[in-house]
Amino acid sequence: MKAHLLYDHKEWIRIKNYYDSRSIVQDLGLETLFVAAAKGVIKERDEIKAITEEDLFVKNTMRQVMLVPLESADEILYRQEIIRDCFANEEFICALFDLSQEILDKWDKLGRRDNDRMSMRNTPAFLVNEIHILRLFVSGLSRIKSLLAIYATRLESRGLSGLYERLCREYPEELEKQLNQILEDISFYVSAASGTIEFDKEYKPNIVLGCTLGGGMKFENLKLEQVSTDVRRYHAPGSAIGHAKEFMRSLTPNSIAAQKGAGVAPNIAELEYQIVAYVVGCFAPFVNDFGDFFVQLHMQSAFYRGAVNLKHHLMRYDLPSCYPTVGAQDSLRFENLKEFVMCIEQRINPVGNTCDIRDKMLLVVTGANQGGKSTFLRSIGIAQVMMQCGLPVAAVAYESGIFPQFFTHFTRREDSAMNSGRLDEELNRMNQIIEHLGERSMILLNESFATTTEKEGSVIAYDIVRALKEADVKILTVTHLLSFAQRMYDEVDTGMQKGVEFLCAERLTDGKRTFRMIQHAPELTSFGLDLFEELVGGLEIS
Amino acid sequence: MGFTGILDLKQSPFKERGRPDFYLDLNLNQIIERICQEWGPEVASYYYYFPADKECETYRRDILADIKDAQLYEPLKLVTEMMQSYKEAGIKKEKISIKLQKAVWYIYQVGYYCDCCRKLYEILEQASLASEGLQALRTYLRNYLEQDVYRAAENHMNTLRDRLKDIHLTLYYENSRVIISQQQCEGSYDSFLRQCFPGHDSVLRNPLALEQEFTALEQELLKVFNKMNPDIFADIMKFYKESKEYDDKRLVQSIAELRFYLSFLQFEQKMERTGFAFAVPTVEEEQEFTANGLYDLALACVNLGRDKEVVSNDLVYHDKERFFVVTGPNQGGKTTFARSLGQLVYFCKMGLDVPAVSANVHYYKDILTHFSVEESVESGRGKLKEELRRLAPMMSRECSGSFIIINELFTTAANYDACIMGKRVLEHFIKDDCHGIYVTHLKELSEGNSQVVSMRAMLDENQLQNFKIVRSVADDTACAVNQVNKYRLTYEQLKERLV
Repeated sequence: MKAHLLYDHKEWIRIKNYYDSRSIVQDLGLETLFVAAAKGVIKERDEIKAITEEDLFVKNTMRQVMLVPLESADEILYRQEIIRDCFANEEFICALFDLSQEILDKWDKLGRRDNDRMSMRNTPAFLVNEIHILRLFVSGLSRIKSLLAIYATRLESRGLSGLYERLCREYPEELEKQLNQILEDISFYVSAASGTIEFDKEYKPNIVLGCTLGGGMKFENLKLEQVSTDVRRYHAPGSAIGHAKEFMRSLTPNSIAAQKGAGVAPNIAELEYQIVAYVVGCFAPFVNDFGDFFVQLHMQSAFYRGAVNLKHHLMRYDLPSCYPTVGAQDSLRFENLKEFVMCIEQRINPVGNTCDIRDKMLLVVTGANQGGKSTFLRSIGIAQVMMQCGLPVAAVAYESGIFPQFFTHFTRREDSAMNSGRLDEELNRMNQIIEHLGERSMILLNESFATTTEKEGSVIAYDIVRALKEADVKILTVTHLLSFAQRMYDEVDTGMQKGVEFLCAERLTDGKRTFRMIQHAPELTSFGLDLFEELVGGLEIS
Repeated sequence: MGFTGILDLKQSPFKERGRPDFYLDLNLNQIIERICQEWGPEVASYYYYFPADKECETYRRDILADIKDAQLYEPLKLVTEMMQSYKEAGIKKEKISIKLQKAVWYIYQVGYYCDCCRKLYEILEQASLASEGLQALRTYLRNYLEQDVYRAAENHMNTLRDRLKDIHLTLYYENSRVIISQQQCEGSYDSFLRQCFPGHDSVLRNPLALEQEFTALEQELLKVFNKMNPDIFADIMKFYKESKEYDDKRLVQSIAELRFYLSFLQFEQKMERTGFAFAVPTVEEEQEFTANGLYDLALACVNLGRDKEVVSNDLVYHDKERFFVVTGPNQGGKTTFARSLGQLVYFCKMGLDVPAVSANVHYYKDILTHFSVEESVESGRGKLKEELRRLAPMMSRECSGSFIIINELFTTAANYDACIMGKRVLEHFIKDDCHGIYVTHLKELSEGNSQVVSMRAMLDENQLQNFKIVRSVADDTACAVNQVNKYRLTYEQLKERLV
């Protein structure tokens, strides 16, 4: 049985992360999104009433799922459909997640991940525990099915309606009945081994067993004809009625009493154990199949549960949201795109950017410090990651190609001291990225090769970017290596290079920054002087 | 000459001496452990002695060839398994105290034995056999199966065994009583379970069968059953009481010995499937001792499934050449080469196939090895002393015509001393008409003797070890690693990488 809520053809196994996803998380600040997705927003009459504690499992699930790229427009659409269903029926996805959470919690209590339990194997206590797990599974499946049945008519996505159909097919009522029957047949073992005698009832096994005689006259080729549990009135062995019953039984021809001598009773207990263990062992294919299903359903529904939370956070800051569309590899178009992480962290609704870039594989962003270049780059990175895992993004519209090989190469502020060791580390990271490039690759470069002189850095950057561009890698670079940017610009100007877009942080004529990016030739100064002037003063720029 | 078994044509003197040092030095214990993984220590013990002489080695080689040519591996394996059941039944019989049970195990024991003999004869009869050993076994078996003692035991056993197999019982457990009845049941709950859980592999085992002795429950039930069926038990007891000596020791031993060949073949097939070659060696004294594609089988075992290459080498002793002296960089494959050569001689002497693409090996009386103990706590004079103590018996013993492997002798002695001692050792063994290999860091040992061949562990164009050992004059080049353009990020290099 498969959940298939994340992919239409596979479960969450053998999935491939982005290469160096740890850097992506760090460079784009994705941890903030994982945490936000794990915190529910409780509202009352459209007013935010409370933010719930973060759910660790949801957080980890978001981290896992968001860092694995989908590879086609259809895969993205598949998840978007489910998210639409979930947004329209929030109480459904919450109930589904809670229910699978409850089943897993109970299973944990019965020792799901307790490896020490293995040493208990082959003991009656272990067997009773196994029976309790089976009861949990059988009732859990029935509950999941009923929940889906309630919403069946309202669910339109292929994923959720498919799940319901599959469950009805692979866990039909007939099977449900049979499994319950078997669990009832062996229920004598649970009450016998756990020693709970219900007031005036006793649960007695009724077993018929066939066999042949093997070497040494041992019973061989055991065949189970019948096993069931008789419920009868309990009479103490010493009581008058107990005596009378025992006498009646002893008249049975060719028979022996189960209590005869000291050795017979333990032998019978062993047989009982083995028979029940055999029956429980028969459930193995069922347990394998549905055990994984519960784990998968829990994990996969957690992703959609997180998506609902993210939506609430978007609404909380009045951010736009849209289902991104998949476009050509060399186009990048968006309207009013916001840097979602910054919004959540600083609780603001910042300036959005709008771009319409087509037929370009290389974007070079230059311009004033503190002008919003890095924010711009990150907003695209975050949107790209969210789009590639099927989530909505914080924009009015977003369209881009799919890049399963997605890399970030950010010079981290604290690293940027001139230091040959740092450059070595940067080059090493670049080498690793190149090692892992593929058919559809995108690299975000933020102030790369800033750890050496501008002159050297420019030569390195020029060589690498040119070679990557010629290999059809999509590159977005924020740089202050002005000789590099200028050289690129000149080459485009003279027709030596094609498909390059230059962006600049916008500056109004009065020198004021708008924190907006515009399509513009690279500036020859990074306006560090401005900043100096602002913070220190005394330069007297003419 | 009468039939003596299929391992040894003659009693081998090597059987007495215990396991010599060379097993550990050549890592043979690792290989043997791997070979015998599924066969047990008794089979491993066959690997710990050489056959008596050249003729005996050929005797084995012919038998192995027969088993391979006639594709007898699977059928013979079945026979050895039947023999195992026979032995186990005997052990079980001895352990049990209740007479009736003993008697029934006895019937089974005789049954396994007879089935095993019949099966083996059937196999040998159908195969075309060229080896002296298997032909002799076939003749021996044919005569044996016609003896009256054997035939009488077989017939009687068959009748009783069939009657036993025909008994079907049903146990009813209800209301705190167990009722026994002689009827057959279908196992309808089994069918129900199979229908609910298609493909389940749960098996209902009898927990009471873990012990050979009857449990209390079984005793009580059989008492009841005995009253219901008195005849059959009487007949079984009669057969047991009148039992005679029916089994043949030499036959039982020969069937056990089959496992020597089978264990090796199983191992060989497994290695061949992963790409390691084995060759049937020739033993022609008139031709040069030569091997192609020789590799260290112990290393191959370790690397199995690890996707690591095991380097192979070619070698030849021309004419009067007696000793290889191997020099070269550390970790360059010198010791591995020496081991592989020792393994070649060992497997050839055992009458088995050798780990190489092809080989012609000469006959040697024995293998002698001397490996320095690397992790020894001893150092300086202490270590040298320890080495010489082990060397002395090797050199004083009657060892002419043996194969000698010496690995890094005298590393702690001064160079001048070590050279003199090393040359002395080489001369001694060459004079004694031995062949061998001497791994050393002293290039001087490879010089000035036409019977000594200088071999060297090689480096590739990047000055890295490639583990090839070839004939070459010794020199002192050190191993240097050169790294250019560390991250390969120039435009030209990138263009090359991003194709």
